[in-house]
Amino acid sequence: MKICNLLASAFTVLSFSLAIPFTATADVAGTLIIAENETPENLDPANATNSTVNQLLVGVYDALVQFKAGETSVSPQLATDWQVSDDGLQYTFKIRSDVKFHDGSSMTSADVVFTLDRLQAASAAVLNDMGPFKSAEAIDDYTVKMTLEAPFGPFISALSRIYIVSKAQVEPHMSDDNGRGWLAVNAAGSGPYSVSTYKPTEVVTLNAFEGYWGGWDGDHVAEVVFRYIAEPSTQLALLKSGEVHIAPDITVQDKLSLMDADGFRVDIGAAATPLYFQFNTSSDGLVGDASFRKMLAQTFDRKLHLDYVLQGFGTMPDGPLPPDWMGHSTSTELPFNMAAAKELVDQNGWAGSTLKVRYLPAIEEEQAAVEQLQSNLSQLGIKLEAEGMTWPAQAATVQDLDTTSDINMIYNFPSFPDPHAILNTSFNSQNTGYNGGYNWAQYSNSEVDALLNQAASSADQSERATLYAKAQQMIGAEYPVITVSLPGSVVAMSSAVKGYRYSVAHHQTFNYMDISVD
Amino acid sequence: MHYFFQRFVFSLLSLFILTLITFLLSQVVPGDPAIVAAGPNAGAEKIELLRSEMGLDKPLTQQFLIYVGKLAQGDLGKSWFTHQPILEDLIRELPPSLELVIIAMVINLVISLPLGLCSARYNDTRFDSLVRLFAMIGAGLPIFWTALILQNVIGGELQLLPIAGRLSFEYRAFEGYTGFFLLDGLILGRLDVFFDALKHLILPAFSLSLLFTAVGLRITRTAMISEFQKDYVLLARTKAASEPRIMFKHVFPNGAPPSLTVFGMQFGWMLGATVLVEEIYGRPGIGRYAVKAVTQSDIHAVVAVVLVVGIVFLLANLVVDLLLYILNPRGRMDK
Repeated sequence: MKICNLLASAFTVLSFSLAIPFTATADVAGTLIIAENETPENLDPANATNSTVNQLLVGVYDALVQFKAGETSVSPQLATDWQVSDDGLQYTFKIRSDVKFHDGSSMTSADVVFTLDRLQAASAAVLNDMGPFKSAEAIDDYTVKMTLEAPFGPFISALSRIYIVSKAQVEPHMSDDNGRGWLAVNAAGSGPYSVSTYKPTEVVTLNAFEGYWGGWDGDHVAEVVFRYIAEPSTQLALLKSGEVHIAPDITVQDKLSLMDADGFRVDIGAAATPLYFQFNTSSDGLVGDASFRKMLAQTFDRKLHLDYVLQGFGTMPDGPLPPDWMGHSTSTELPFNMAAAKELVDQNGWAGSTLKVRYLPAIEEEQAAVEQLQSNLSQLGIKLEAEGMTWPAQAATVQDLDTTSDINMIYNFPSFPDPHAILNTSFNSQNTGYNGGYNWAQYSNSEVDALLNQAASSADQSERATLYAKAQQMIGAEYPVITVSLPGSVVAMSSAVKGYRYSVAHHQTFNYMDISVD
Repeated sequence: MHYFFQRFVFSLLSLFILTLITFLLSQVVPGDPAIVAAGPNAGAEKIELLRSEMGLDKPLTQQFLIYVGKLAQGDLGKSWFTHQPILEDLIRELPPSLELVIIAMVINLVISLPLGLCSARYNDTRFDSLVRLFAMIGAGLPIFWTALILQNVIGGELQLLPIAGRLSFEYRAFEGYTGFFLLDGLILGRLDVFFDALKHLILPAFSLSLLFTAVGLRITRTAMISEFQKDYVLLARTKAASEPRIMFKHVFPNGAPPSLTVFGMQFGWMLGATVLVEEIYGRPGIGRYAVKAVTQSDIHAVVAVVLVVGIVFLLANLVVDLLLYILNPRGRMDK
């Protein structure tokens, strides 16, 4: 209880000192403390593909457009409106003229152009999802033109991860590394919060920025603190003692028990991050044979996984896309049916064969899924060898067809809520593992590629939906994957937290700019 | 002096071999840092570009020579992922770990030396059996398990000590000069910070030390038992020297060297084991930094951590040698 008293007095002092400058209508006070199990690499917007980096930056920087938490379509942020040329190759943005960066400088189109130029020069990971983006140029102080090499339907959505930096602040620190060293530990944004302490293995503190262009209507916290706590049981202890308000990484069992506990709340966000068993479709071995994969595709009980491993937190998948997404085609993957699988094994004499699966044992649900598949396959007389690895090691094995194992487990974390971000990533032959992508099934079908490319270049949503539905059916007929689960994003928090909403466009982040603490 | 010069050269050689082995091992372990650096959906072209920017396309021997060349100039390189000089990262991460190890070492010495001496003196009594039982239990408990239990019971249930962190929440903006919060608290005259940091160190340090204390206790006890059986103890007793005088003036200095050697090595081992308690008690430190570096294939950072732990290990052993030299002037003639 002593800790709570100390905390309360700290809050009082803080809210007193920080609340004064803000307008009388807004209530900007208190501190939100978030536990996080993984430490951030750096603060560089070039790395915003990484959720531990993105969760810090999402309220520190603004983008031209943004997905508000809980929404699946973009809203204008720094841009006020935009026009697309008829050929889909040129986007002209009008940007706000009232935006101030944290250093006091005003945002103009020069900052937007500088941001994109720097990301290109730095080979930034965040540009990977920008499709055929070519260049940006300033037309006048508040107009920016962006040019693409080919039409790209989800371009506007992809811009939500491009955080605009202050040219005045970053340019003097460009040195020979395109400002990466400086931006790794400093921030240069225009968002509602600024970074005040950056101790990347211990604590990161953000403070409300008084001059935020968006104003401070409604209730917000004056300070956001990220505490890096790796151990789930420690996160739970801190949540219970009131030392953290949000604990996302406690065990599923503990989340379940907190659902009925006084003083706590468990939010289940409709995440769209499919977990797959991907079969090496280009293999010379058994998994290269579609009829063998048809048998495999029926050997995993998704319902059992959802009920027992995920404790019901999630959506039952029947294909790679979440059922409520645009373009979702129902039942493109076969349901669990051991009898049908057994029949195929018997017909083809596959009993006695051995397969290998690679996965990340650090992820509990991957371990559990591998064990289920092992057990089911052994009933059919097929031995499944499991090889647990680290992420860089597993990713290295799929760079080459010869070292790609029969089966790989992989999560797909779409960087914006669009079928492109799931289907193109996992099934376009341009993105096979050996091409440096996340299609670890090494799946290559020119007709599917054509459908996916056509859908990506179209701006007509209903046309895209039809194309994606067709692509899913073609993919499903060749059994390159089992979509194991669509886990919900389950976050435990103190009931004092108000305004939390899961953000599907920024998975594993928290909309701390909309949150207040009672 | 010749002896110490020899030791110094030997230490440098050990460090070089350590660097070589770590560098080679980090290459053998599968994983491609360029893939991690390139991010999701990067494409083969970009991965290849980054691989060459990171110098990973060069032959291994050339990579090693470049690395050692920089190392000789005191440059540990830049982390591929924090984009900071690794030296700066380590200067931030090492003090919290060293602070933890030093406190754990103090707990270790304070328990194992006197208990070891007394249980040797009262060898085969009920007291001795009790001490041996404690040592056996201590040696059998895994560090992470002890840490979890202590945290849950003393921190969580009884709320006697903090659950996690280095300082209480109200001190989150505290910045010192050295990164050692105990020392910074004293230097800045902030006794509140000093005691707060100490409170946060007790459980992690105790969890870390238990296993080592058990070993230290057994070694001290064994060394002292053989001292108690020596003729000079018999002589002292016949000359009616008081028992405390025999224990502390005669037996202890003579029996201490084997224990000291072990304690010196334990210091380095503890530093290598800090990650177990750092993860549970949510403390920053070199252990957590190393784990993150390994999972990202941040090879230079991994090698640097191993090197620093190696240096601390060698330094601790040098200090022990120096202590033994001072304790036992006869050493001068032996060497």
